[in-house]
Amino acid sequence: MKLLVFAVAALASAQESYLIRNATLHPVTGPEIAGGSLLIENGKISALGAKVQAPKGVKVINAKGLHAWPGMINCATQIGLSEVSSVRETNDTNEIGEFIPQVRAIVAVNPETEHILVTRANGITAALTLPAAIAIGGAPGQSIVRGQAAMLRLDGWTWEDLALSPSAGMLVRFPTIQTVTFGFPAGRTEIPYAEAKRRYEVEMRKIDEFFERSRRYQQAKKAATESFLPDMQFEAMLPLLEGKLPLLIAAQRERGIRDAVDFAEKHKVKLVLFDVRKPGTQLARLAQKKIPVIVGQPTDLPLDEDDAYDAAYSLPGELHKAGVKFAFATYDNQFARNLPFEAGYAVAYGLPMDAAWRALTIDAAEIFGVGAITGSLEPGKSADLFLTDGDPLEVRTQVKMMFIQGRNVSLENRQTRLYQKYLARP
Amino acid sequence: MKNLMLLLAPALLAQEATVIQNATVYTATKPAFVGSVAFSGGKITAVGDKLIVPPGAKVIDGSGLHVSPGIIDSHSHIAVQGFGVNEGSVSVSSMVQIKDVLDAEDVAIYRALAGGVTTANILHGSANAIGGNNQLIKMRWGKTAGELLMDGGTNSIKFALGENPKRQGNTPAPGGVPRYPATRMGVEDVYRQAFTEARVYQKKVADFKAGKSPLAPRRDLKLEALVEVLEGKRLVHCHAYRSDEMLMMMRVAEEFGFRLATFQHVQEGYKVAKEMVRHGVAGAGFSDWWSYKMEVADGIPYNMAIMTKKGVLAGVNSDDAGLMRRLNTEAAKAIRYGGLTEDQALALVTINPAKHMKVDHLIGSIEPGKSADLVIWNKPPLSTYAVPQKVYIDGTLYFERDKDLSERGRRAAAKKALEDQLKLDAPGQQKKGAPPSRRDQSGEESAQ
Amino acid sequence: MRLFLLLFLAMAAWAEVPSGLAIRNAKVVTVSSGTLPKATVLIRDGLIEAVGPDLNVPADSWVIEGEGLTVYPGLVDALSTLGQDGPRQNAPSAATQPAPPARGPEDRPRTFSWERIADKLRATDPRVESARSQGFTSAATFPLAGIFAGQGAIMNLGDARPSRLIVLSPAGQYVSFVIGGGGGRGFPSSLMGVFAYIRQIYLDLDHYKQAKAAYDRDPKGRTRPEYDRALEGLAESPRLLFPAVSLGEIDRVTRFAKELNVPAVLFGLHEGYRAPEILKASGLPVLVSTKWPTRAPDADPEQVESARALETRAKAASTPGILAKNGIKFAFYSDGQSASDMLRGVKKAMQMGLPEADALRALTLAPAEIFGVADRMGSIEKGKIANLVVTRGDLLSDRPRIEYIIVDGIKYLPPPPPATPAAKESTR
Repeated sequence: MKLLVFAVAALASAQESYLIRNATLHPVTGPEIAGGSLLIENGKISALGAKVQAPKGVKVINAKGLHAWPGMINCATQIGLSEVSSVRETNDTNEIGEFIPQVRAIVAVNPETEHILVTRANGITAALTLPAAIAIGGAPGQSIVRGQAAMLRLDGWTWEDLALSPSAGMLVRFPTIQTVTFGFPAGRTEIPYAEAKRRYEVEMRKIDEFFERSRRYQQAKKAATESFLPDMQFEAMLPLLEGKLPLLIAAQRERGIRDAVDFAEKHKVKLVLFDVRKPGTQLARLAQKKIPVIVGQPTDLPLDEDDAYDAAYSLPGELHKAGVKFAFATYDNQFARNLPFEAGYAVAYGLPMDAAWRALTIDAAEIFGVGAITGSLEPGKSADLFLTDGDPLEVRTQVKMMFIQGRNVSLENRQTRLYQKYLARP
Repeated sequence: MKNLMLLLAPALLAQEATVIQNATVYTATKPAFVGSVAFSGGKITAVGDKLIVPPGAKVIDGSGLHVSPGIIDSHSHIAVQGFGVNEGSVSVSSMVQIKDVLDAEDVAIYRALAGGVTTANILHGSANAIGGNNQLIKMRWGKTAGELLMDGGTNSIKFALGENPKRQGNTPAPGGVPRYPATRMGVEDVYRQAFTEARVYQKKVADFKAGKSPLAPRRDLKLEALVEVLEGKRLVHCHAYRSDEMLMMMRVAEEFGFRLATFQHVQEGYKVAKEMVRHGVAGAGFSDWWSYKMEVADGIPYNMAIMTKKGVLAGVNSDDAGLMRRLNTEAAKAIRYGGLTEDQALALVTINPAKHMKVDHLIGSIEPGKSADLVIWNKPPLSTYAVPQKVYIDGTLYFERDKDLSERGRRAAAKKALEDQLKLDAPGQQKKGAPPSRRDQSGEESAQ
Repeated sequence: MRLFLLLFLAMAAWAEVPSGLAIRNAKVVTVSSGTLPKATVLIRDGLIEAVGPDLNVPADSWVIEGEGLTVYPGLVDALSTLGQDGPRQNAPSAATQPAPPARGPEDRPRTFSWERIADKLRATDPRVESARSQGFTSAATFPLAGIFAGQGAIMNLGDARPSRLIVLSPAGQYVSFVIGGGGGRGFPSSLMGVFAYIRQIYLDLDHYKQAKAAYDRDPKGRTRPEYDRALEGLAESPRLLFPAVSLGEIDRVTRFAKELNVPAVLFGLHEGYRAPEILKASGLPVLVSTKWPTRAPDADPEQVESARALETRAKAASTPGILAKNGIKFAFYSDGQSASDMLRGVKKAMQMGLPEADALRALTLAPAEIFGVADRMGSIEKGKIANLVVTRGDLLSDRPRIEYIIVDGIKYLPPPPPATPAAKESTR
């Protein structure tokens, strides 16, 4: 950890300072500042306002007609772990073993992945990368406690540079009653409810027991008895049990949400729910218990035939109205760059614009414990921001410039290079 | 006389003259303007900044609203019933027809309609080199499968190149045997074999018609479709990703004397735009898909822009029931990536796909004489915030957001009533006083 | 022959052996020509010799005094696997052997069109007696496995040798839209592939007939056409039975049958209540499954069901009433249910608007008409096969008492009722 701090400090000290002028600033945590200036020093935002004094040697950027926004955060991807999703050798997700809390996504992140460059080109400066797919249920034998997710900043030479938070949550495939499963080569398989319930109860017993044993390990370690022996598996569970790390559970419907919330309460751990689609009666409970939610994609199809056609589009607006803290995610790499448009659709179907921006930035940062570092334009925060010629939630808007930790990062990637190359083909 | 007509043909009631006034009109062929669109009898009758409202016409105030042609999705697999969209058991399945298996009750139709889509080409899948015959449908929600079919369209067939058609050569389904081909080389061979066979068949039929043989040859549905391709009567929409395979396909088509209509997906179309223009094939694909398989490694969102700039008739489509509902913003991505104009972008999902499918004389733009397939949006159609308010097909209102919203309560109540009724009917919940049901005296098992 | 029959029948447990049989002064529901409040039915040699009031009863006839009794035509199950060893064993032998994957229609995938179920019936199916004891005297019995599963038959539900029981064979070709199991396991692997196959095989049949005729006219110097048992089977199929349960399927199959231009019968029809116009326009007769859809008993209680599925479940049983009202010819079939469950299903349809007379017709004369055997069975008419059911009380009322069942003129008594209504053991 100390090493990491040194590394960051060393990087930062060599950095240029920038003064962005004449931009419309959108701090998200404060009111919009028209014709404002923003000063970046030592990788951080040191000042912003209608008028900011330009220190000596600062590089001035005239951003007339442009808008400055805090970098957006995609709360579920597999960036760095998966390159070509259908080519197994390029994937480092879904480790085997039932309970593998000690497995860490961060150490397998390939900093050279094209997904970083492509994603950030659309204004996204951070992304949660997950050690396994966000899945409801899953085949028996798939891991239950699946490892630790990492919050990446989308610029850096090594995975240590990328680690905005090397461990941002513990991913759990929570047991569900699943009467229908899809698999290869069996295809759609249906089992009776009673059998599905039995399997669910077996898995529930297992996960309950694992959490209880983790608790006992915690107590044994505290008591420091002579017979105590360290164990990597349970060691990895300690931050969770100490409330420093949230449990990450996907739960689309009422029953899954109820079960997950009950479980988190029973074991006294923090919880973040993923891919929420139809919270139903659990909506009020989520608000009341202040359980944050990563919504299912607004552009996903509704879950059930009779759902309103715009059910997914309008869910973020409903979460906002109910007072649930939430953020957005794309749940994949391929379309990770489309995060702002996901939010745009939520706005089209009822989510207030300012709430959309909180969800894209500061709320996402806070949910994963990096709210003090990034997620808004405020003095003292990491200079993670981007400039556009218009509303970033509109598809046609262009991202003109981006800063991550105060570095003016390139928006080029293999795709832009191929564009240039073949546009010029005689 | 007019009254009599209305009495005789109640269907025409929905076709009374309608004028949308004071809206921003995006015709897809000319620059946008504020004005009116008039339609009756299912057809657009007039377009202009000042139209005289015919007496008795219904007037819709379009102030602050935006009117575009209905969106056309040239690559969709919705509304298909039964074991998927592939007859992948064989490398040449030109005997099968999507038309046979349409499912008019697939809710994806309504959802697409609510996203402004009025027409879609329902394609066979890409599991084999020569797939099945596609079907153009209109999103006439609430009608039967036969009524979804679009009149006047040209028939088409699906071809597929690259990883998908060779997959079963490498990894057959468990319990199955490998299916030729296993490489792109073999894919080319499949085409050349099939069209050679089709030519022989074509000659046999011609000989019979010329009286050279007494007995008609056995009609072969597989080869008939291929002969139609050779004779230019059936369009070819060919799934393709890489430039090498597209080039191969164009050369094979040229060898056999036909022209491809489109490359679908056309991920590397930007690399062979010149060759595509020369062959005369259009390109219709995704806006920004990449990285899900090896052959899309060079998929770039600038593809539409490069192809357009280099003279390829480009189009954006969905291949996906979810994405289908927002092709308007998919088209807008060609502005973001590569800088097409708004008009060029809108054309990617309206008039261009209509041209791809040779139905641009019927649909695809707001011009007098074309079908009144129209979308009224609350915001400019390429905006993320644009929500379709009304969608017309052939002048009939098939989607209305206000109505959808206001009917939700009633629909939920009706469903609840059904659930309650079924609970009452369920075994063990019989009404008091009813005689106990008799047990089966035979003791036999119900056979399943 | 007759001697043999008598000897054979004498051994049957519940059968009695009259030389002639008369049911005197009973209420006779003829179905074909109204109800006679007090009439006599004379039976001889397995046939109805006469029916009417004031008939003289021949001296050698066994007499059933019909006071308080009602005579109906025997009931018909319009599509079943009765007489087969069991619905799961009825797959043609070839279906169970691994075949190389079909490469196209030419390999005749999953086709057993030439096989006749009449050749495979056995007297040992215990379901025959169960059905008879509920008043069923005939059934259409069909093989069910394959795209073209083979030729069905109409059989009487007596206990004679199966060959004595056949009324009609072939009665039709059973079609199902089954696939080969996907990539690598042969054509067809999709529903559209099945349709393409059926379309192609009928084109092949046309060509086959022409080629054979041309060869027969002048064989010299011609290559003889290859014998094709699949086409031979189709050529002798008097009708095709197509599955059509949902509205979409009904719409699709009616259009397909018209295109193929073959005599067709649809079966299933649970969403028939939504399709009266389509059915009426098609003119096709239909067989309605009495196995009304229900929620699976082992379904997840929180599973979300579509309003569409709920509506079908709530309204499927209204289909027969709507068909009757629209003049669409229909019959009932058991769809794997027991005979008593099937009758319960019919009664549910009656509760949902099907008039009793139409219900009775759909269980007697209508199936005979649909299979083209109304000239020999299905109603109480002079000269028709003596298949009758004699009850105390209305046959389709809640608790009819069946007194006699007569099949091919042979009188059967229903098994005695169990000691208590809850008794489970078999009464066989």
